[in-house]
Amino acid sequence: MGAKKASPDLLNSSFSFKSLKLKTKQQELLLRVSILGLVYVLAFIARLFSVLRYESMIHEFDPYFNYRTTLYLTEKGFYEFWNWFDSESWYPLGRIIGGTLYPGLMVTAALIYWTLRFLRFFVHIREVCVLTAPFFASNTTIVAYFFGKEIWDTGAGLVAAALIAICPGYISRSVAGSYDNEAVAIFALLLTFYLFVKAVKTGSLSWALGSAFGYFYMVSAWGGYVFIINLVPLYVLVLLITGRYSMRLYVAYNCMYILGMLLAMQIRFVGFQHVQSGEHMGAMGVFLLMQVFYFLDWVKYQLNDTKLFQTFLRITVTSAILVGGIALGVGTASGYISPWTGRFYSLLDPTYAKDHIPIIASVSEHQPTAWSSFMFDYHILLFLFPAGLYFCFKRLSDATIFIVMYGLTSLYFAGVMVRLILVATPAVCLISAIAVSATVKNLTSLLRTKQKVPQTGSTKGVGSSKSSSKVTLDQSQPFQKNGAIALLVGVFYLLSRYAIHCTWVTSEAYSSPSIVLAARGAHGNRIIFDDYREAYYWLRQNTPTDAKVMSWWDYGYQITAMGNRTVIVDNNTWNNTHIATVGRAMSSYEDEAYDIMRSLDVNYVLVVFGGVTGYSSDDINKFLWMVRIGGGVYPVIKEPDYLVNGEFRVDKGASPKMLNCLMYKLCYYRFGELVTEYGKPTGYDRARGVEIGNKDIKLEHLEEAYTTSNWIVRIYRVKPPTNRL
Amino acid sequence: MADHTTLPHRFFLSISLLSILAVSQPDLTKELVSLRSSSESGVIRLTDDTVSKFITSVSTPRPYSLIIFFNSIDLNSNPLQEFRREFAFVSASFIANNNNRSDVANKVFFCEIDESSDSEAFGLFGIQFLPQICLVDPLMENLQDKTGRMEEEDVDGTAESVVEFIESRTNLTVGPLHRPPLLSKTQISVIVALIAISTPFLIKKVLKGETVLHNSRVWLFCTVLVYFFSVSGTMHNIIKGMPMFVRDHEDSNKLVFFYKGENFQLGAEGLSVGLLYNVVGLLLAYVTNALVRVRSVSGQRVFMMLAMVVSLLAVKKVVYLNSWKTGYEIQTYWPSSWH
Repeated sequence: MGAKKASPDLLNSSFSFKSLKLKTKQQELLLRVSILGLVYVLAFIARLFSVLRYESMIHEFDPYFNYRTTLYLTEKGFYEFWNWFDSESWYPLGRIIGGTLYPGLMVTAALIYWTLRFLRFFVHIREVCVLTAPFFASNTTIVAYFFGKEIWDTGAGLVAAALIAICPGYISRSVAGSYDNEAVAIFALLLTFYLFVKAVKTGSLSWALGSAFGYFYMVSAWGGYVFIINLVPLYVLVLLITGRYSMRLYVAYNCMYILGMLLAMQIRFVGFQHVQSGEHMGAMGVFLLMQVFYFLDWVKYQLNDTKLFQTFLRITVTSAILVGGIALGVGTASGYISPWTGRFYSLLDPTYAKDHIPIIASVSEHQPTAWSSFMFDYHILLFLFPAGLYFCFKRLSDATIFIVMYGLTSLYFAGVMVRLILVATPAVCLISAIAVSATVKNLTSLLRTKQKVPQTGSTKGVGSSKSSSKVTLDQSQPFQKNGAIALLVGVFYLLSRYAIHCTWVTSEAYSSPSIVLAARGAHGNRIIFDDYREAYYWLRQNTPTDAKVMSWWDYGYQITAMGNRTVIVDNNTWNNTHIATVGRAMSSYEDEAYDIMRSLDVNYVLVVFGGVTGYSSDDINKFLWMVRIGGGVYPVIKEPDYLVNGEFRVDKGASPKMLNCLMYKLCYYRFGELVTEYGKPTGYDRARGVEIGNKDIKLEHLEEAYTTSNWIVRIYRVKPPTNRL
Repeated sequence: MADHTTLPHRFFLSISLLSILAVSQPDLTKELVSLRSSSESGVIRLTDDTVSKFITSVSTPRPYSLIIFFNSIDLNSNPLQEFRREFAFVSASFIANNNNRSDVANKVFFCEIDESSDSEAFGLFGIQFLPQICLVDPLMENLQDKTGRMEEEDVDGTAESVVEFIESRTNLTVGPLHRPPLLSKTQISVIVALIAISTPFLIKKVLKGETVLHNSRVWLFCTVLVYFFSVSGTMHNIIKGMPMFVRDHEDSNKLVFFYKGENFQLGAEGLSVGLLYNVVGLLLAYVTNALVRVRSVSGQRVFMMLAMVVSLLAVKKVVYLNSWKTGYEIQTYWPSSWH
């Protein structure tokens, strides 16, 4: 934007442009394209911090599952992948992979991989997976440009592209290596919205068709598609209420809904939900309402008598509402329409999850958002957003209504769950971009009229800017100009702070793979803890191929992907009882746990322990959730047994049950002999800052198999039953 | 478990003993009755003095039982005060249901001890956690005895749980609970009348297309409001039940509005920061869009200066608060050759 605005001066002075003899429009186009190109590259390279700092690897937990399935897809082909029954997870139940995942991400990565192979670029599939997210982030900036152009003008489009390229809210889920569904889903989400807005604006079937396919891609990629299928009908409803019904809207919505629904049914995981689940019923209701509107319009056209029409209107509306209500009631009562799911409820009634679904409430990214998290992820966009809202209302159109609704609903959801900040990011960037673009445009046009430079073609657009320049023409005060310059400087200062903030956040907070940990040593040097991979490769090379490994569900995907061994539970969390069984085993005494483990054919138990390194997200700190989830299914496990006066302790004052449960024993086995910090007694737990309470731990049914170099992962072998003879 | 089953028997025994002893200590009961009638919903506030007067210095068996709710205003906990209100409902219902049976009504008194003002009395009972309800029956001598306490898992903060506790321990019936309706009858009738009167006007306006729904200013206001509540972390406060502010641990007269630490906030801090966002944003919109149309030049100048200063201060404040709260220090990365 900055470069674009300065274009006339720059062009006058620069020799090379002059010699090219471009027309103003061509110059503008050239500038726009080159800015977009730079933004495209910027979005990609800003996400490479993690590769530079560590290495090209897959991050965190879920991406390992995605990577594993992508590998399977590229090796065995699409049909094998689609029909894959995975017996290596959720032992002994197994998991039908093809029917329980969103295949969009894997298929996308595989397609990129096959294309590259076809073009004779022989890359490893892992590199493709690592770089999928940055690539799609770059594509998102292009979509953001067109979206911004659609709702405001090209300037806003460019600013939106630049803002979203480095917005931490988006970067948090799209750095190189975070190979997760959201990586492509945000692109699909924004594309669908853009195409739909375009379709409403033009009323053309082709744009609506495009948006239906965009929706299909979104459905194939991420469960967040439910947001689209609820926001779009809501938007249509608002347009209907505010009297903005038009034939364009009718064409756009009907085409998008019907085709999108039919396409979405092709995804097995989604299936017939569009016609059966309560979460999708709003869209269908609005669809029917559209038909009633159209019908009424037609009847009004046929009947010339107003009174007759009024009566007809009343009868139609009443009967339509009645029929709809009865259908919904019968459907719900007969069980044909399923009620809302827990996740959906917890969005509408935020306190629901806390009371009813511990497995959702236990995940840190499902926590409600504090203001500092918003500040961290949006920075100055938060200041610009209200200004953007104001500008949107100043120039109300179908498109701006959409972006305002998208922004507000998604911000509300972002307030309920931290992870949904991601969904709100494009809207926040777009609305803030409107604020920046409109402000800068107004101020520069004010400056330019002072200098009596003839208006160039780039200031078509904003009506308010025209009127403002007219007013200032009447009164020629130098102060106005100074004020405008001061304001401009202020805006650019803010934007530069934003750039600094984003770079810092990306580099420091969002680029750690969490599978390799980094810490600062005593002399400021970087220490790398690579214990996870050490442990998983140990499992891969030293255990029988059919060994079953029990761990808390967080590590399930990583064990199957990197260790190539069967796990009892993993991050899919589809079977609460199974997870509760593991939670129960971990929180029972060793002999009770042994029976549970025998019944599950467990050969190895893996725990994550941060007492030596001071790594705080280890199993001891997650232990209360194991107790809670276990106790939710098996009432034998009671949370108060593990607490002392409501406090969770591991030192001498801990409860006896805590000191002797399996998890405690496995984490602190032989820890009592170890000196972890100078000047502290043996068995000093650095993660919790206490000396442990039980230093003399004897294991009866398990034996230590492997402990990684920094003790972060500890693996135990379950002994076979003793010979009774 | 055995203790629980014997308790009603103990209570029976004490009731029969009461008939003899009641004569000797009638003044205390009378005093309690008068205290009860003067207090709100019949919950007597016990102080250090009255605890010794009515409990510790009276020889057993006492002619009455006390049901004590342990409270702490300083804790500033919403669930606790909610429970306290429920407790008051039980008390009021008990008195109302047994209004004309003084032999029942004057046997049990509902009391409250507040830790913040009467910590000595509080300490006598050796209470470790709140909320806690204790039945001091006529025979109870050791106040630290846990048999009179409500079981930890039974304390769920509802009036029903208190009723169950009383009825299982004392053989008395509390009777139906009288909760005050959400809206009083006069309020309901006024609302109904208002709706009835305004309906024809509303219908007329809707038909004409002149409702608030058609006014974009109202929509703008609503959107800014929604934005304000979203980014100020209101959902966080609702879900986690955070208070607007807390009292300082060391100095109870000092209020703490800002909490240090990420992922956690108090109510007031979020709202104040949210307000700053909106102030800056709307000022920016106003200055660039509406101010230029103001005819008075000096007015423009003054307002513009003012807006700039306010925005600068607000942005600085938010950035300062954010770095204070999170402890992050944002720094710039310069090319390494510049060092």
